[in-house]
Amino acid sequence: MADTPKSGMPAGALSMLILRVLQSGSLHGYAIAQRIHLLSSEVLGVEEGLLYPTLQKILVKGWVTAEWGISETNRKVRFYRLTTEGRKQLKAELSEYDRVTQAIQEILRTA
Amino acid sequence: MSEIFRRIRYLINRRRFDAELESDMEFHREMAARAGRSNFGNTLRMREQAREAWGWTWLDRLVQDLSYATRTLARSPGFTVTAVLVLAIGIGVNVAAFSLFNMVALEPLPVRDPGSLVRLQRRSPEIISSEMPYATAKFYGDHAKTLSAVLTMMGARLSLEDDLNPVSTNFVSANFFKELGATAAYGRLLDTERDEAANAPPVVVLGHEFWQRRFGADPDIVGKVIHLNRRPVTVVGVEPYGFPSLDGEGAEVWLPVTQQPYFVEGSKALTDVSDGTVRVWGRLAAGATASQAEQELLGLTNELRKQYPKDIWKDEYIHSDPGGHLHVMEPAMYKVAEMVGVLTLLILAVTCANLGGLQLARGVSREREMGIRLGLGASAARIFRQLLTESLVLALIGSVAGMLLAWGTMKVVLANTPSPVWLSATPDWRVLAFVVAMALMATLLFGFAPALQIARQRQRKTLARQLLVGAQIAASCVLLIVASLLVRAAQHALYTNPGFGYERVVSIDPGLGRHGYTPAAAEEYLVQARSRIEALPGVTVVSLVKFAPLGHHTAREDTEINGRKVSIYPNSVDDRYFQAMEIPVLVGRNFSPNEKNAVIVSEALARRQWPGESPLGKKYEENTVVGVVGNAHVNAMNDGDSLEAYYPVQPTDMPDMVVLVKSAGAPDGLTPMAKSIVDNLNPNLFPEISLLKSGFRKDMEQVELVASAVTLIGLVAVALAGVGILGLVSFSVKQRLKEIAIRMALGATKVQVLRAVLRQFVWPVTLGIATGAGIAAATTGVLRNSLYGVSNLDPASYMAAILGLMAMIFLAALLPARRALQLNLARTLHHD
Repeated sequence: MADTPKSGMPAGALSMLILRVLQSGSLHGYAIAQRIHLLSSEVLGVEEGLLYPTLQKILVKGWVTAEWGISETNRKVRFYRLTTEGRKQLKAELSEYDRVTQAIQEILRTA
Repeated sequence: MSEIFRRIRYLINRRRFDAELESDMEFHREMAARAGRSNFGNTLRMREQAREAWGWTWLDRLVQDLSYATRTLARSPGFTVTAVLVLAIGIGVNVAAFSLFNMVALEPLPVRDPGSLVRLQRRSPEIISSEMPYATAKFYGDHAKTLSAVLTMMGARLSLEDDLNPVSTNFVSANFFKELGATAAYGRLLDTERDEAANAPPVVVLGHEFWQRRFGADPDIVGKVIHLNRRPVTVVGVEPYGFPSLDGEGAEVWLPVTQQPYFVEGSKALTDVSDGTVRVWGRLAAGATASQAEQELLGLTNELRKQYPKDIWKDEYIHSDPGGHLHVMEPAMYKVAEMVGVLTLLILAVTCANLGGLQLARGVSREREMGIRLGLGASAARIFRQLLTESLVLALIGSVAGMLLAWGTMKVVLANTPSPVWLSATPDWRVLAFVVAMALMATLLFGFAPALQIARQRQRKTLARQLLVGAQIAASCVLLIVASLLVRAAQHALYTNPGFGYERVVSIDPGLGRHGYTPAAAEEYLVQARSRIEALPGVTVVSLVKFAPLGHHTAREDTEINGRKVSIYPNSVDDRYFQAMEIPVLVGRNFSPNEKNAVIVSEALARRQWPGESPLGKKYEENTVVGVVGNAHVNAMNDGDSLEAYYPVQPTDMPDMVVLVKSAGAPDGLTPMAKSIVDNLNPNLFPEISLLKSGFRKDMEQVELVASAVTLIGLVAVALAGVGILGLVSFSVKQRLKEIAIRMALGATKVQVLRAVLRQFVWPVTLGIATGAGIAAATTGVLRNSLYGVSNLDPASYMAAILGLMAMIFLAALLPARRALQLNLARTLHHD
């Protein structure tokens, strides 16, 4: 694989965040980026060059599906929706993430 | 699983998905622009990165590389055609050799269920016998539960009516044709119910080709009576066209083995358990494996030992081999196959080294192209992959051409040799798989190193080129040396004295033992035959010998003398044998009549056994040495290392003796006279009468055939190497044209210029020849026993090969180098 663009996002975290923001309903690509940006109190930015490869990856994995819809600007655009498999994956990733952060915090507190 | 399906969906609908991706990103950009951001990256590259998630990037690149490779090759047709031709020869030779091996050893016989056929051989740790007594084979057939059938075959030669030549005959078990699933062309084949009983009416099945030749393909022959060995027998049918017999053993007539005593008077072949008479195959019962069958047969052999304690060997067992092929491969045949394989792979090595050199040279002329591609951002890995793909395309085209070449060659070979008609030259899946493997191997051999060098921009380094030249020369050198050794051997065999006289000798094999003669009866017959033949005009000597020179039977003892492995050929002869065969008695004396416990050894055996001592009076296996005779490899013509030991003929040997008749002039006229004498003595014997010189000629034809085949291969290799060197030298001249022109302008002499151009090839050539000669010397030891006494280190052969190779290299290098001397100085120096 060619070199991937740099980003402030920890590796692997983006797919989890995408799955998480899709949990409440289907969104188009731009909205996903916006939502992550807003929900992170504008700390995390999602570059186009990272968002779309990640979206393609989770599409192939079958965690989300894409369907055509109409955007708020009245344009035909694809909306991404979480699948049952995606929900399962999100749950697994969240609990794994919790376990790891707890462990890290444990170290930070006691060391 | 579902992920793979989704990926495949993305591959199939990639155009649509790509458009959707594009639309998504376009929308993203519009929205971002509204929000006031406009720092977008390279959209094309981003889309490419996103697409990588689908997992098909490699395929895209492969398609790109393939189409680029085809275009590049199409643009330089001269190079492509040369490369494909060179590859076609290199790969074709290998494919042809593999096809032959495939036909003989891998392809199943077109008979019913060939996979469950096994050939059975009688063995012990010391002895291997290809034949077993009929009675024991029948015992195995009657009792083995792991075998559903046992097939037996006994070869013989019978006389048909009053024909001059005997017909080749196979006595087979009545189940033979049925087990192989054959159906008659006319009439019927042998049948267990009608033909197996010993008292069944005598029947014969005619071989298809024999039926056409001898009976004019007359279908009405079925039901008629013919005479074999003067016994009437009814023709019941004709063998199917192209009948695939076991181990390639066809016959002109097929008879039930149970009727053998009817045709061969006095024969005890069906009851005698002391001697092997039939070749045996088995069909494994459903579910049984070969090793289970061997296990059961071992138990049965031990039971047989109780019945025939004297005739079953110590630790005897039955060995099985897969029997459903044209031939069962013996260890010696594998050796030959390995040897041929090594030689043909050497050709491939020459080919690939050759092409590798060409590729490197092309790399230099493609420097601009590579520079541009690197400048545009291609990685070295990508360029390497691209170049390797080019090689792969070349190798695939070359392999297909090679396969066609091999296919054509095989067709010609099959059409011109007496091969079974069911054999086809059309490649099967094994040959196709071999071709693919060859293509991949060739790609790696000739493409890998040059691609690596070029991708790393090191194509101007001379070391790689020198290595390739050295490898080519070494491989061609080995091939040439082997070829010249074989040519020398053939010449040696043809034009030097073999140590015995064969031109004026006739051998008469009455086959007394086969007809149940006792030693006393045999002796009486031989005394009579000798006195009558001696009375014939022109006959000078009549002698008796157990294993006739150049005959069907030999005995061989493999043993060690002073730590060296040797083969000793024992023979029993009378006191006139050395005179008849013109073998000189060097030391001591000839046998005296009725001598016992004496032995005469060949000169080489005496030297091995008692180096530096007089052998006379020494004990050799409980016998006293009375004489030493010249070396005469009458029973192993091709093995210059064979040793001979002669024993005086004893009364018990009489049923096995062959009569040798030496005439004063040409022996050809003796044959009919001798025939009438032996027919008169016993009309039911049908002795085999042959001229030694025709046996000798047949042997020589084979040697010449092998020598010319290997020479052809050697010449092909040398021609390939020549083309390669020619190409490399002319390339390196072209590469250095300017330098040469400057040198000449500054007053360099022609010799100096030539030296400058050719110097880089001196070391590779010298090292290549030295390595090749070394490899040849180290490996041709396996050839020793087929070189007719020429040493595998024979200096003349090595010199001839090396000088020939050097002359060729010199020519190939000088032709293009001369161009350097005919330069138009002004034009070269003004060029760019």
